[in-house]
Amino acid sequence: MNITIDQSAAHAGAAVLRLHGDLDGSNYLELIAAAKTAQQGGAKRLLVDLGNVPYMSSAGLVALHSSVLLFEGKQPPDPAAGWSTLKSVALNTGGKAQQLVKLLNPQPRVARTLEMSGMNVFFEIFTEEAAALASF
Amino acid sequence: MILRTTAELINLHTIRHFIEDNALRLAADENTAYDLAHAVDECATNIIEHGYRGRSGTIEVEIDRVGDDMQIVLRDHAPLFDPTGVPPPDLTLPLERREPGGLGIYLARRMVDECRYQALADGNELTLIKHVKSTRPQL
Repeated sequence: MNITIDQSAAHAGAAVLRLHGDLDGSNYLELIAAAKTAQQGGAKRLLVDLGNVPYMSSAGLVALHSSVLLFEGKQPPDPAAGWSTLKSVALNTGGKAQQLVKLLNPQPRVARTLEMSGMNVFFEIFTEEAAALASF
Repeated sequence: MILRTTAELINLHTIRHFIEDNALRLAADENTAYDLAHAVDECATNIIEHGYRGRSGTIEVEIDRVGDDMQIVLRDHAPLFDPTGVPPPDLTLPLERREPGGLGIYLARRMVDECRYQALADGNELTLIKHVKSTRPQL
């Protein structure tokens, strides 16, 4: 998987992560690392472009969840401490989509994985990048 | 068809493509092939992360068609673990009260029609079965 961090000033505090390739257990830490890099670069919000991700496993869901924790100012569990630790963090959104990390253009099969896991409730999903950025 | 590989996360891509390619060869439709590859990925990830826990080992994946069913068998030599015994998450709970743990097993079980576990003398055997919709003869 390849990740491009687009942190241009035009995004008004939001960085865009553009993912290319499958997102699975072998590379989900790269997404968490990219989110951290964007945050350390000054981003306050994150848009994750999934338009070029043909496959996402539950590992990708964990990475998205960890990215939210990061942008909430919480320290995600140390990935080196183990998969189970990452997964054990309870969601705390009050039943609504959080506003810090949003998703762009998930392909139908990836969108289905989000729906099957119930994570679609947790994220706002957009089909237009401009609309997504304007929503922050 | 059987694939034997080392139990490393870097091999997940190879495992998925082995399943998807052979499911299509055995006349499964594209959605069924994708679901099977996803289910096997989640199970293999679980074996690598929770079974072997960083120790070296192998995973064997076998795919076959039995009548109208696609049948996939995963074998490993990790400590005994029955994923079919993991209770499904309570979907009546609001999202914020659900625990993400066990998500992979939950998704895998949603992707197939049947999931059977057998403890072996030296490891685990998990059989996944999905009813096939085929529109063309097997290659």
